[in-house]
Parts: sequence; C-alpha cells; structure tokens
Amino acid sequence: MAFNPLTEKGIPIDKQLRNWSELSVQPYDKDEVDPYTRCRVIAMNGIEVESIMFSHQFARHTDNPDIKRMLAMTRRVEQQQQKAVSGLVPGDETTLEHTIAYEQVAVDLTAFLARNEPDPYLKQTLDFALLEDFDHLYRYANLLDLIEGKKADRITKGLTEIMPGRPTVDEHRHPYDEIRGHYEKHTVDPLSRCHVMTITAAEQQTMNFYMNIGNRYIEPIARSLYQEIAMIEEQHVTQYESLLDPLETWFQQEVFHQYNECYMYYSFMTEESDPRIKAIWELHLGQEIEQLRLACEMMHRYEGVEAEEILPQSLPEPTRFQENKGYVREVLASQIDLRTVGTQFVPLDQLPKDALYFSYQQQVNGGGLVPSEDVIKEHVRAQGGDYRHETEGPHPVKQMEQAATQKR
Amino acid sequence: MDPMIVTKEAGATTMPLGMTVAEPSCQMIGAELMTFADDVRGNSIFLANLVSAFSAHERCGLHLYRTAAGMTQIEEWRAKYEEFGAQTAEHVRILAELTTQLGGDPMYVSPQARMTEFCDSKLMEAILLAGSVDTMTMELTTLEAVFLAEQKCHANWELLKTLASQMTDSPARRAIEHAVSEVEGQEDEHVRWAQQTLKQTIMALVGVGLAAGGGGEVS
Repeated sequence: MAFNPLTEKGIPIDKQLRNWSELSVQPYDKDEVDPYTRCRVIAMNGIEVESIMFSHQFARHTDNPDIKRMLAMTRRVEQQQQKAVSGLVPGDETTLEHTIAYEQVAVDLTAFLARNEPDPYLKQTLDFALLEDFDHLYRYANLLDLIEGKKADRITKGLTEIMPGRPTVDEHRHPYDEIRGHYEKHTVDPLSRCHVMTITAAEQQTMNFYMNIGNRYIEPIARSLYQEIAMIEEQHVTQYESLLDPLETWFQQEVFHQYNECYMYYSFMTEESDPRIKAIWELHLGQEIEQLRLACEMMHRYEGVEAEEILPQSLPEPTRFQENKGYVREVLASQIDLRTVGTQFVPLDQLPKDALYFSYQQQVNGGGLVPSEDVIKEHVRAQGGDYRHETEGPHPVKQMEQAATQKR
Repeated sequence: MDPMIVTKEAGATTMPLGMTVAEPSCQMIGAELMTFADDVRGNSIFLANLVSAFSAHERCGLHLYRTAAGMTQIEEWRAKYEEFGAQTAEHVRILAELTTQLGGDPMYVSPQARMTEFCDSKLMEAILLAGSVDTMTMELTTLEAVFLAEQKCHANWELLKTLASQMTDSPARRAIEHAVSEVEGQEDEHVRWAQQTLKQTIMALVGVGLAAGGGGEVS
C-alpha cells in the first residue's frame, strides 16, 4: 500500500524528546541477532549522523533565529534517535566484529541499491564501489581470523560471501578520478535521490568509523589496514557526494534529508524481524514524519516551494537487506578490472599510459608496505591459505580462485 | 501537466551537459530541439534553451512572490505580492503554452534554465542573514529581490517581442506576439511598482519626500 509521509500524522516535535531511561536501549545479542537487523542498525546510525552533520552545516550558514531554532530542535531529536540506534550495538561486539558488519552493510546495501537503481550511470557508480567494499570484507575477515581467531561468517551467517573483490591495492585512485557526474534535480527519480542520500550517508559513516577506531588496535597490521581502507572510504564519500545536484537549495536538502529518513525507517520497519527493534523503527518514523513536516513548512515559508512540488505522492519501493550473492558474482565477473578517468568508468587495459591512476598508485603503494596485501600474506603464512566463505562455488574470476596476493 | 511542477513524475527532461547525468528516458538531445520555432530560421537549440530559462525564471518569480507575501509585515506590499504572484503563475502557464506552440516541451529544463534557477535562488537566500538586520532592511531586501527579478523578467519578454518583430509572418511569430501581448502590461506594472515603491520607501527612510508623481522616474 502506498505510504505518503506528507499525509501521515507524526509525533508533535515537543513530544519527541526522551529521558535517559527511554534512551537506554537494550543492545542486541551479538550471537543471536539477525545479521540484517545489525545491518539496519548500522545503516540507520549512519543516516542519523549525516542528518545531524548536515543540520550543523546548515546552521552555520544562517543567523536567522527562527531557522536556527528549528534546526536545533530537530537536530536534538535526531541526536537522541542516533543514540537510541547506536545503543543497540553491544559492548561485547569487538571493533573488528563490528567492522565485518559495516562491510556487510556496504556490500548488501550497495548491491540492493544498484539492482534497483533506474539511472544507468548511478547504477554503474554503485556497482563500481560494490566490488571494493566486497574486497574490504575479505581483508578484514582475514584480519579478524588472524588477531582474534574468529571466523567472519559467524557474523555474516552465510548471507554474504567472503572472497576477494577488486583488490584494495588497486582501488587507490587519484582524487580527480573520484569525482562523478550528478543527477539533475528535476529529472531525477525520487528513488535515485534516496539511493544517493542513503549510500552517501552509509559510506560517510564507514569513513568516520574507520577514521576514529583505526587506532584502537595494538597490532601494526590492524592499524595500517584500517588506515588503508579508511582512505578508500574517503574516495567513496567523494564519489557518492558528487552524485548530488548542487542546485538543490539548503531548504530543499533539509527536506530531502527528512524525507529519506522517513523512507529508510519505513523500509526497515516493514522488514524488521526483531519486534523490539521494529518498534524503534516505528517510533522514529513517527518522529521523522513530523520533522519532515517542519522542514517542508520552512521551505514553504522561506522559498515559496510547496512540498508537493518536489516530493512524490508516495514513498518509493522499500530498500531491503537481502542476499545479493548472484548479483555480486555477476558484477565481479564483468567489472573487476574497471578503473576511472575523471567521471568515466574505463577498463584497466584502456587507461592511457599517462593516466593519473598510475602515478597515484606508485605514490601510495610504492613504499613496500601495502597492508591489504600483507594481511593476506600473513594469513597464508600462518594458516596455509586465506580465509574465505564461498557458498556458491569457486570465485567467478578464475585468477582469484587462489589466494594470490599481487606481485608488484 | 501542471507547468508549476517540473519533476520526473510530471515528465521533466533535461540535456545532460558537463557534470549532469540523467536517465535516457529523461534526456533531451539537441536533435529534438532542432525544430523548435523553426519559422525563426535561426539557432533553434539556443532558442529552446533560452525559453526554458525564461520559464525557470517565471517559476522562481512565483516562489519569490509566495515567500515575499508570507514574510512582509506591510499589508499594502503583501497585497501586491499576492496579486503579482497570481499573475506570475499565469505567466508560467502562458510560457508553457507558447513553448508547446513553438514545438517544444514545457517540461524541458535546459542547462541555461538550471543556471537561471541557481542565480534566482541566491536572491532568496538573503533570508538566511535575517538575524542580523532590522525588519525594514529585510523588507527592502525582499523588495529589491523582487525588483531585480522583475527587471530580468521584463527583459526576457522584451527579448521575445524583439525576436517576433524580426520574424516573417508565421504561426511562431503570431504565437510569440500573442503571448507577449497577454503579459507585457502586467510585466511593466511589476517593474514599475517595485522600482517606485523601493524608491519612495528609501526616500522616506532618508527623510526626503518625493514630489507627487515623481516616484516612477529614475535618473
């Protein structure tokens, strides 16, 4: 049934604040939780963080007290929402275990969005980064096994395969090659906009997470692997934020943030298997509906634009966490050697000899240490092979069937 | 089709240029614009893009009037903003009709239209600095935005009028002339009122009275 947040009744903003007891949520059980429930928690945390940081940026560009007050009020509730969502993560889930879950989010969220993305260029952009996050899952899974002696498939529960993607060592590209074209605000499909906002928030959260927790390990291999992959997440955020049309004004962006939060909470509410967490999605949806109304009111007041002029009559089809093994294998088989030149995707063998890619590769990989390669070498040395969880047969790329770290 | 709303759902199209991308079904290619107002026997693509920009400006004008009417505390100005806003909505419709008559697509958003919308949105962003000015400064800033927007609007219609005057008699020429005749009186009045009101208000604030009938003159 079509759901239109513009016609639904939300929770009045002055009724949205929660006390500390209400915010003190019971974490999930890391051994019992549905992996995709955990993925939803991570994804919504990222979406709330993005919403909060956008609101701060907006507030720094105005001294209009009415606008600042409205942003501050909404933002305070967003902060509480983020705390409630983030509080679902248990303290006994180690940083690396949680990292595995972050990469499961990156793989299965990106794959789902790509499969449902109507714009071919946006889809290609998603496919491109999908293979890189897929490889991060493999590298971190080997690190987890090495330093904690744990198998990553106990976290992913076989829903996401673990094997090499586009090797992380190959993912380091010049900053100029990370810029993408952007959608056009009038012609963009509302679903595409939600996809771009969602993946930008998710990748930004991953970037922030690695930026801050990479120094929590003593082992040099762990510290340096977090550093290396964190730099790729910077590339991914640069890529995805490029997709947003800068013609969208501050007020419109605020509306789209609130709209996307409605969309994502609605999506997750309708598929959540854990009734306790489903209730949180439902509560937050009720709050977001009101926050959307307030954002629309502000846009109408200060820009003269009606919500109905820029928003569709109902939410797009929900975003789901589900298995994407076949799809990922197809993309692996066809796009592993893809690179970028400026905004375009180009096969490796068609890159010009003087491409920025090669000089940048030499700069960052030329010092002898490549942590993402070393972690596999170390695993091979210690255990006689790499760690994988291939549930659908051998790797779809022949030369990746074996644990061959690259000769450089 | 509601020409006030340009979204994918409403049938929007665009010409991807530079950094812009769009789904194939939403793309306008140059060849499709080659027949736009072909009676003109000029650069049809440029003209189609220009008329799209004019439409964007009219839509932004409508949004500006809505905002101004909601913001002002001066009843007389509010009445004018509402009156002119309603007329501007009609101008959007007239331009959409003209675009169709010239063989174009009113839902087409050209690169020039995007730039027009961007510039116009900056006029309205003044509201972001409202916290550090007095009420009258904000009123004048809004009125000035209306004045600037209306001057451009007026110039757009003048351009269309000049274009028509250069054309041989044709359906395109008659369509443009008809559209211009429907709006030009109102456009004159929009500029005149904004300019005169701005001038009179500033003179009054300075403490200098204007002679009767002198408000509309600009030296």
